[in-house]
Amino acid sequence: MTITRRRFLQGSAAALAAAGCATAKTAGDLQPQSGRRVVVVGGGWGGATAAKYVRLADPSIEVILLEPNDRFVSCPFSNLVLSGVRPLSSLTFGYGDLRRNHGVTIVRAEATAIEPETKRVRVGEGYYTYDRLVVAPGVEFQWEQVEGLPQAKDTVLHAWKAGPQTTALAKQIQSMSDGGVFVISIPPVAYRCPPGPYERICQVAWYLKNTRPKSKVIVLDANENIVSKTALFRGVWQASYPNIDYRPRSRVVKVDPSTRTLTTEFGDAVTYDVVNLIPPQRAGTIAVQAGLVGDDKRWCQVDHVTYESVKHRNVHVVGDSTIGIPAPKSGNVANAMGKIAAVNIVNLLNGRPPSPLPPGNTCYSWINDREAIAVVNAYRIDNGKVVQIEQKLTPGPSAIYGQQAVGWATSIWSDILG
Amino acid sequence: MTHMRVLLAAGVLGVVVAATAALAAAGPLDGAGSKVLNCAACHGAAGQSRSDAMPILAGAHPVYFKKAIQDYASGKRLSPEMEPYAKQVLVLGLDEIAAYFAAQRREPSRVKLDAAAVERGRTASTQCAPCHGPAGKGDADKGVPDIGGQPPGYLRNQLLLFKAERRSPGDEAVTKMKALLKAVPDDTLGDLAAYYSSLR
Ligand SMILES: Cc1cc2nc3c(=O)[nH]c(=O)nc-3n(C[C@H](O)[C@H](O)[C@H](O)COP(=O)(O)OP(=O)(O)OC[C@H]3O[C@@H](n4cnc5c(N)ncnc54)[C@H](O)[C@@H]3O)c2cc1C
Ligand code: HEC
Ligand code: HEC
Repeated sequence: MTITRRRFLQGSAAALAAAGCATAKTAGDLQPQSGRRVVVVGGGWGGATAAKYVRLADPSIEVILLEPNDRFVSCPFSNLVLSGVRPLSSLTFGYGDLRRNHGVTIVRAEATAIEPETKRVRVGEGYYTYDRLVVAPGVEFQWEQVEGLPQAKDTVLHAWKAGPQTTALAKQIQSMSDGGVFVISIPPVAYRCPPGPYERICQVAWYLKNTRPKSKVIVLDANENIVSKTALFRGVWQASYPNIDYRPRSRVVKVDPSTRTLTTEFGDAVTYDVVNLIPPQRAGTIAVQAGLVGDDKRWCQVDHVTYESVKHRNVHVVGDSTIGIPAPKSGNVANAMGKIAAVNIVNLLNGRPPSPLPPGNTCYSWINDREAIAVVNAYRIDNGKVVQIEQKLTPGPSAIYGQQAVGWATSIWSDILG
Repeated sequence: MTHMRVLLAAGVLGVVVAATAALAAAGPLDGAGSKVLNCAACHGAAGQSRSDAMPILAGAHPVYFKKAIQDYASGKRLSPEMEPYAKQVLVLGLDEIAAYFAAQRREPSRVKLDAAAVERGRTASTQCAPCHGPAGKGDADKGVPDIGGQPPGYLRNQLLLFKAERRSPGDEAVTKMKALLKAVPDDTLGDLAAYYSSLR
């Protein structure tokens, strides 16, 4: 409380000092509030969607979206960059339409702290006030869980946030020699995109099979078995990819780039030519710092209908940072959460009861350059909780599902940003 | 103190709420509009799909729409994507959702078409017209869908599925059409898809 008040005073002083000055403020109240306002932290699948949909649901509410990156890069389909099937540019989009079509104020900045007591989000020395806050920072990596990784972050790639690392890993794979070994390490659940690592394995195996027939893919999976679409992936690997060596219960605890070695918790050492180490994950740092995570110190519990945090009032969390809703950490679910949270934030701000709207999920996985498989989940709301109605899998891979995957991506990218 | 501030804020809010409630009441995301949000991930905003593979739902006749949802939910029309979502529609309210899409004006697909294919399709379409009508508008009451302006990839795929008896096997509503399609070469199905996609 004392801290808050002191900060408040500092803030007002800075605001006064800056008053009348036309240049962008960096301290104090960065944009004094005139009407009702929702601030969104993170312009990814969940946050950008929420920002757009608050404006769609009630254009009288001001929306400020805080996002440090000037471009949105889609993780979905980014495994196709590793196999050279798609360029990263085809997965990269601007935020301009959110401003032009929907009047979202986009601020290219990182939120540095959340003050739920005073309903403020800090950006460095300044802050934005809000009536309701949406926190959608995605995941952060738990580097310290793997010995040697904090020091080797720049060369031992995750490529688990689409961007420069995706292109860098693609380059490493493309410069492998025939006979070279690609090793991928999969973290224990819960992590972003349960089928994602297995789709990636298909893409790399497909690429190597066609261009480096003597090369192989070693999979060190911390989990007991393939986490998602188990039988489908297994079937595909058996039928098409003899170059995959899958090792379950192989949690990687150490990496040594000088000897190009990974060590598992059982002491097995595996050498690599190219490594893709996907570290264990938790909610984005801002969510952890703001005390939005639960006892696990990793993920955020939320109300299943409004996505309001169980920890702080007027703060809603959507996307990968959440836990407890029986839906996967997927872009599709983050998008659904963003929309539902937006509709219900607007309901609450207008004094109406929240609508019990359920999410849905579809994850397509590419098994080569043309064919895909999919898992689909639909949910309903039962006594205020999300409950699965049904999960369905494609019977097998098909080029039609590949075309439908493109249809999904086209629609959902424009649903988020268009 | 915090408490007072909250009360104060609530008071100010109350005035704003009163002023904007009327506006917000008619928003596009109220009622049925909020129940179709999940559909947009594949079918586009308000069912106006812009991709080649996903069908446009905007402007669908309610009788046809409801049959489609029921067929997916019962597993009669096979689609791993649609079966779970069809069941969600049944939970959320089929009539309301069918009425929502029927009320949207269809914006025809903008997927590029081969003009020669469109012309060949026009010629071949005479055999379809008895049921689908001269402009592809179908028959709202008889459950014949409006196929004009649908994306060509979707139409072609459905025609191939009908022909191979993989869409709604055994469904009597389509035995006649399937019998007809058996005699139509696959290339011509592509032409028919292009033609019906071109209709406005
Ligand atoms: C290889 C791969 C393949 C995938 N394939 C699929 C797929 O096919 N289908 C699917 O549905 N999902 C897929 N996913 C999962 C999907 O990408 C995630 O589930 C989705 O991105 C989660 O959305 P989010 O909004 O929670 O996080 P993100 O999309 O990661 O967005 C978080 C945003 O918050 C910003 N941010 C973080 N901290 C701050 C801060 N302090 N201030 C301001 N901004 C901040 C970040 O810059 C980022 O832009 C895949 C993921 C990977 C890695
Ligand atoms: C994951 C993607 C996806 C989502 C989400 C989705 N659909 Fe579909 N939908 C499809 C696909 C693919 C088809 C075509 C399937 C086939 O081959 O029959 C389809 C077909 C349909 C059809 C039949 C169209 C026609 O002309 O015959 C209807 C109706 C429909 N969907 C309604 C909905 C509704 C309503 C929702 C939201 C509750 C929804 N869909 C959500 C993928 C999706
Ligand atoms: C005897 C009447 C009849 C004839 C002739 C007929 N159709 Fe149909 N068509 C139907 C009916 C009824 C349906 C709806 C099927 C259902 O309920 O699933 C349909 C559905 C379709 C669909 C699926 C639309 C969608 O949105 O999924 C396509 C495409 C189609 N017809 C194309 C054609 C073409 C092309 C021809 C000519 C070669 C043709 N039809 C001839 C009755 C007919």
